[in-house]
Amino acid sequence: MTATLRMRLPAAALFLSAVFATGAAVAAGKIAVITPYLAQPGTQFYVEAFQAAAKDKAWDVNVIDTKGDVAAVISRLEDAATQKVDAVVINVDPAQVEAGLAAVKDAGIPVVGMDAGASPYLVTNVTSNGYAMAADTAAYVANRIEGKGSVVMFVFDAFPPVQVRGVIADAVFGNNPDIKVLDRVTPDVSDGGIADSRAKMEAILAANPDKGSISAVWAAWDQPALGALQAIEAAGRQDEGIVITGIDANPQAREAIAAGGNFEASMAQDFHGIGAAAAEAVAQTLSGKPPKSSVTYVPTKLITIDNVKE
Amino acid sequence: MDGRRCRPPDRVSDMTLLSINGLDKSFAGARALGGASLEVRAGEVHALMGENGAGKSTLIKVLAGVVKPDAGAIAIDGASVTIGSPADSLRLGLRFIHQELSVVPHLSVAENIFLGRDYPRRWGVMIDWDGLNRRAAAVLAGLGVNHIPPGRKMARLSVGDQMLVKIATAFQDASVEGGAPARLYVMDEPTAALSAEESQRLFAVIRRLRAAGAGIIYVSHRLDEVMELADRLTVLRDGATVATRDIAGLQKLEVIELMIGRRFAEGYPPRLAPVSSEVALNVEGLSTAYLQDVTFEVRKGEILGLAGLEGAGQSEVIRAIVGADGGHDGAVSLAGRPVKIEEPVSAWAKGLAFLPRERRQEGLVSSASIAGNVSLPHLDDLVRFGLVLDRAAEAEQAVDLGRKVKLKSKGPRQKVRELSGGNQQKVVFARAIAGSPDVLLLDEPTRGVDVGARYDIHALLRELTAEGKAVVLASSDLPELVYMADRIIVFRDGKVATTVSTEGLDQAGLAALCFGTPTAPSA
Amino acid sequence: MASALKTYGTLIGFVLVVLFFWIEIPDTFMTAKNWLNISQQVSMLAVVAFTMTIVMVMGDFDLSVGSMASLAGIVAALAFRDGHGVWVGVALALAVGLVGGLLNGALVAYVGILPFVATLGTLTVYSGLAFLVSGGKTIFGRDIPTAFSGFARSGISLTDTVSLPSLTIVAALVLLVVWFTLEQTTFGRRLYAIGGNKEAARLAGIRVRRLRFLAFGLSGLGAATAGLMYASRVASANPTQGSGLMLDAIAAVFLGMTMSEEGEPHVAATLIGVLILGVLGNGLTQMSIDSYVREVLIGSIIVLAVASSSLGKTKG
Repeated sequence: MTATLRMRLPAAALFLSAVFATGAAVAAGKIAVITPYLAQPGTQFYVEAFQAAAKDKAWDVNVIDTKGDVAAVISRLEDAATQKVDAVVINVDPAQVEAGLAAVKDAGIPVVGMDAGASPYLVTNVTSNGYAMAADTAAYVANRIEGKGSVVMFVFDAFPPVQVRGVIADAVFGNNPDIKVLDRVTPDVSDGGIADSRAKMEAILAANPDKGSISAVWAAWDQPALGALQAIEAAGRQDEGIVITGIDANPQAREAIAAGGNFEASMAQDFHGIGAAAAEAVAQTLSGKPPKSSVTYVPTKLITIDNVKE
Repeated sequence: MDGRRCRPPDRVSDMTLLSINGLDKSFAGARALGGASLEVRAGEVHALMGENGAGKSTLIKVLAGVVKPDAGAIAIDGASVTIGSPADSLRLGLRFIHQELSVVPHLSVAENIFLGRDYPRRWGVMIDWDGLNRRAAAVLAGLGVNHIPPGRKMARLSVGDQMLVKIATAFQDASVEGGAPARLYVMDEPTAALSAEESQRLFAVIRRLRAAGAGIIYVSHRLDEVMELADRLTVLRDGATVATRDIAGLQKLEVIELMIGRRFAEGYPPRLAPVSSEVALNVEGLSTAYLQDVTFEVRKGEILGLAGLEGAGQSEVIRAIVGADGGHDGAVSLAGRPVKIEEPVSAWAKGLAFLPRERRQEGLVSSASIAGNVSLPHLDDLVRFGLVLDRAAEAEQAVDLGRKVKLKSKGPRQKVRELSGGNQQKVVFARAIAGSPDVLLLDEPTRGVDVGARYDIHALLRELTAEGKAVVLASSDLPELVYMADRIIVFRDGKVATTVSTEGLDQAGLAALCFGTPTAPSA
Repeated sequence: MASALKTYGTLIGFVLVVLFFWIEIPDTFMTAKNWLNISQQVSMLAVVAFTMTIVMVMGDFDLSVGSMASLAGIVAALAFRDGHGVWVGVALALAVGLVGGLLNGALVAYVGILPFVATLGTLTVYSGLAFLVSGGKTIFGRDIPTAFSGFARSGISLTDTVSLPSLTIVAALVLLVVWFTLEQTTFGRRLYAIGGNKEAARLAGIRVRRLRFLAFGLSGLGAATAGLMYASRVASANPTQGSGLMLDAIAAVFLGMTMSEEGEPHVAATLIGVLILGVLGNGLTQMSIDSYVREVLIGSIIVLAVASSSLGKTKG
């Protein structure tokens, strides 16, 4: 009996106190960063940049990853409210965690969104400008084909952030009287989007066999652009000068752009910039001068063969 | 008449292999051993007898090095020894054969025999299977066991053969690291799960061990077996040795009296009432994968015995009637009304009570209480408001029936795990009679039960039949069948071989019928 | 005395964890508000663990509860999106849970597949169904009626600042129902008998197959209930959101089992297991301890509790 006790109790205490020692620093501000998505590359970049900025400001940052569990984000928001941290940063759709945000608001703690989505509960949401990204790539296409020709669009209207991109591109192409939108395709994304986009593009190429009948492919994100590129290369029509653009500038897209083929441009989000700007927004809020706008945009960059290696 | 109590060794000391003197052991104030003594000679089978709780297990555990005695002396070959651990015991040449065998079922017989030792090899790396099997065959042959193929998987052997392999293992492991040649075998209820045929094989091996000069401590509840096999016996009662006797010239009744300290008019209680003429259970043309066209009837107040060699069909008949193994062909009727029973649940509901053969595997929920076990088939009679279990009524039922079966316990909420084998069996009996059934189907009801509990169970059967219950009793204990049953059906190969009245039948006659020997008396 | 300490070791461990946090976080941990928070945070896990206890009493497992929780949330959300009312969506989700659970039961009891294998299979099937019917998307925003998402944020006001959350009330009701079923009814007695010795129970006239079938149905129903609670709390439904519940629920039942002399699950003990997991999550967050360290700690505590109770048992 005593053996059992001796084993169990001090061992637990030992664990706890060892762990406790790591979190006990007294700091200028206690910030909780809560996300279910830390395993995703983009989120890791935000969080690293945020932590780097926080180090300069001597904040005590607690990064909490709930590993995909959105309800646990609510629980941890409630805990942060109980703990009375100085500020909270979230990277999750605010609409899904409103219960937790309400608890944090009741405790008088400001919340900054880091690519989270707009919400009245947030001081501000730091993110890339989806409107601008779509406008940049659509304008690139319009300029490259000199304002005339047939364009194939890959869109996805079911997901609001991507839907916005399509609407902006529609406006840019609509403003060029000689540009005709040949097709507005919604690929099946259940396998990532590349394969189905390729199949759809192959069908369009077959329907338009003449050289010059397709001038450009504008895609609302990189995967359909990559699928279209594969279809064009497989059809042996890579020399017709079909211009392809995507958005996000993922590694596969960057590789395709660097290869100098039809895939010419994509948009890179500044993940580090988002993290740093989120830290800045927190600093402003703590100093009593919160950002005025409910959304804080961090500039994005057009990636072409000229700057893809940077 | 018991003047030789704790007698000192009266032979020359070099004949005495093991001597135990004045062993005491208490557990938390309860005395398990108080003045236990035992002397075993080289080349003898020495039976250790006593009721459950008499101290046999504790004495064996002391020898095995599992329990440390409070006082007393142990000597081997006249030299005083201390057995502090199982390793000590092994080093001193002691070997233990238990009812529950620790075998590795997926390995072969040869591998089990040589487990933990270096196998013979070919080219330094590969196991030389032929060599291993040859060695195993030699070890088995040394014990006169030639019917077990060394390459066969252990799991495919019968329990009896597994036990022979286990003995072979003990017999040859003289060269195990830290071991010593086996001098003394301690066998605890080795035949409990064996058929008569397998038991005979075991006895042949034991006699060979004896001839080779080993000592054997043989623990069994089966008096007949002990009378057949042993040279001497020592009886323990309440932790103390009450007598050591030569078997030659000893009467069974005398042994029973020594064990339980009271005198029976006979070893079995007398019949209380005559058998009625009304039929309680009628079975016609019962057939399953194991049974062929079994037909019989049992009358109210009758005990019908089912006899035969292990697996001849006695158990299967009972299991088929209660639907333990699914459906069957043939008709069953209760008091003249045909019934259809495909699951045990309907058997209980129709007034049939079933006591399965394996108490621990099939009978008891050992983690549950006495009351919980007794009430199991009768829970529907113990509910309030349609679904709430009435715990008070459940406990009351257990107390009432516990009294009826002479159960010794701390109360209805005691876990059955904590009870002795005999008392556990009484719990299963209490369950069987709880619903006041018309017919009791009992499969080996006194197996592994001490003499006192066995008598209580037999007395209960007499009472139940006097109340007009019909009893079907399958047993491998021939005297039990001869003295308790009114009629006996003898099974052979899943068929009814013959039906005999027990009037004038003796044990030898029944055994002959079971074996199907030509000299069997006709029914 | 010795066995009492062996039995209550996990409970003592729980009390010590609570004391530890009370000392380390003196201002906010031991407050009614925080405990009500914890109760709400663990409510979904609690419901799954309570109904998991029912199958574990028989010595079985249900690995499909996590995917069933996700599927139930998706089913309700799809019903809402198609314009059905809150009660229609809830009823539909619970029906899916019951049917899915009974399917597990049928595979285990009547087909005779090991529960581990059967529910591992249905885990994948239910998860696949959740993706299939939702198209892999999260259903949120206007599709989820406020009457549904508002439930998780509602409660009974106790004082001006503190209220008893509705999710806590649901979990408490499930606890009560499961406790009553397992401890007070003949149904529960029979399940314990099956867990103690299946063969003896069958031969003693217990309909083992039927009871296993039904018990898995209850486990599925519990999983669906938890899935609805989850969807209400996050005001959305996603085909993977319940997947974390299964392992935590089994862990909670195991922690509870260390408190029983016979090593059998009891739902009150499961509650302690759930609270240990919940309190650690809450307290360590308040102490700003890294979330991955928390995982290591929780895992270690489970192993420690089970190990020390089995050590005690082999020695005792």
